[in-house]
Amino acid sequence: MKKRITYSSIVLIISLISFSYVFYDPTPIYLEIPKNWPKPAYNFSKNPLTEEGFQLGRHLFYDPILSRDNTISCASCHLQQTGFTHVDHDLSHGIEGKIGTRNSATLMNLAWSTHFMWDGGINHLEVQPLAPIESEVEMDETLENIVKKLQNSKKYQLLFEKAFGTKKITGQLTLKALAQFVVMLKTDNSKYDKVIRKEVNFTAQEQKGYTLFKQNCASCHTEPLFTNNSFENNGLEIDTTLNDFGRRKITNNSKDKLKFKVPTLRNIQFTFPYMHDGRFSTLTEVVKHYNTGIHQSETLSLKLVKPMNLSDNERVDLVTFLKTLTDEEFLFNPRFSFPRANN
Amino acid sequence: MNKNIIWFLFLISIHLNAQKASDSLHLNIDVVFGGKPIQLDSNYISITKDTLSFTTIKFYLSSFEFHFTDNSIYKENNSYHLIDIENPNSKKISFSKVNFKNKTLKSIQFNIGVDSLMSVSGAMKDALDPTKGMYWAWQSGYINIKIEGKSLSCNTRKNKFQFHIGGYLEPNYAMRTFNFNFNDNIKKEKNIVMDLGKLFSEIQLKENNTIMIPGKEAMKLADLTTEIFFIQ
Repeated sequence: MKKRITYSSIVLIISLISFSYVFYDPTPIYLEIPKNWPKPAYNFSKNPLTEEGFQLGRHLFYDPILSRDNTISCASCHLQQTGFTHVDHDLSHGIEGKIGTRNSATLMNLAWSTHFMWDGGINHLEVQPLAPIESEVEMDETLENIVKKLQNSKKYQLLFEKAFGTKKITGQLTLKALAQFVVMLKTDNSKYDKVIRKEVNFTAQEQKGYTLFKQNCASCHTEPLFTNNSFENNGLEIDTTLNDFGRRKITNNSKDKLKFKVPTLRNIQFTFPYMHDGRFSTLTEVVKHYNTGIHQSETLSLKLVKPMNLSDNERVDLVTFLKTLTDEEFLFNPRFSFPRANN
Repeated sequence: MNKNIIWFLFLISIHLNAQKASDSLHLNIDVVFGGKPIQLDSNYISITKDTLSFTTIKFYLSSFEFHFTDNSIYKENNSYHLIDIENPNSKKISFSKVNFKNKTLKSIQFNIGVDSLMSVSGAMKDALDPTKGMYWAWQSGYINIKIEGKSLSCNTRKNKFQFHIGGYLEPNYAMRTFNFNFNDNIKKEKNIVMDLGKLFSEIQLKENNTIMIPGKEAMKLADLTTEIFFIQ
């Protein structure tokens, strides 16, 4: 009798396992860490990447189902060809044309980011989408309602089952899938990267610009990510139509007044306009600001107290270097684009 | 194959029997106002003479610990419970008695709110799933306690009051630990009573009716929350 129980249980377990494999057999994928780059901040062990999870996240990213009236998707403000930001608008607009208070951020190398949004109020990549989803001027939706909409969709039931082995859609799985897509948005193949890997050489002008960059910019825009993930007041005079004091809103600490996250400079040639409120539309204006336009205030970054004093030629050299951070392979990678049947 | 299915059902039924209700300790959560069970949309009068009604009462109780007279401790795994006055099932938390057979209970401890580790660990499931309406959007972190309602004392839009108490970062970490001592053999059930009358006796709704962010104001209310729970 005992033997028969053991035998039957084994048969049962094996048949259950093989039964579940028919439907759920995801393909693991990995984010390859470029040589000499730091360790990612994202904990992949809590959300193992799979091709199916990535593709589900990609569908969600490009689907306006995430907004209240099904008009706005993540991609509305985060376009691939411009480093996943909203080009040409100083302040980004969302649902019903409503305008927010900040310039939408780029989405690049997020596996290495420790805080999200210009004020760093979001502490984890997975919960970041909640901010635009629930913002009244962006998507004006709730995660609860999104889950209901997804649950009613045959397409998403199938995609969730392939990715997570369950048709039961939850908020957690929705956010984990989105994270699987955006965490893969790695850019590491610009001319700068190729020079570092000794595959190509800078022009003389680019090299001059790189030297100036290392002297004047790299303490905050630290290589290879071109950000040190810190918060700084970079000497922008406050825009009194917005009165945005940045990180102070999150920490309630007056030391954080007017501080914003140091953004990455990768693909900066295409991520205009610049700054948290998009006040500069060209790189020439940005460099000019750092050269002679710094507005003094008590929380000003210590690194900006002394003016750069670059000559006209040097400023052009610096901009020339910044354009070597463009990674066209990333900006046009079909894997990151709107999901179509054949890609 | 038929035989397998029969064995499968047999194993399931054993499993279900082991989980029979009588083998559990039930903690019933009662939300009251000055001793009376709270009904949503009914009027209550506070000691500070505000007439008020409630539309939402939701809060987290977490990290349950049972301390016994032999100095052993039983800690519930993954212990996060969202109590929602509108959801009767959420007002009963059950613990299998297997974990404290033949022991005498010395004290019960739990947290009011969600700990900072869970607040920085990304998207969570079940009670902590952000679909529960207890996660802030523009700034990370759980709302530990959400109490909303109406009172003519509030000079706000539609006379609403809204208290969203939370915050995981020092110095505004709003989770509180509640401890209750007693000597008792484990019986079938106990009642955890939350008396909002006590909370609103410390609030003058005309001046204080909206807390939506972590900070000093939220910390003051969080401090009061340990005073409004007791166990019967």
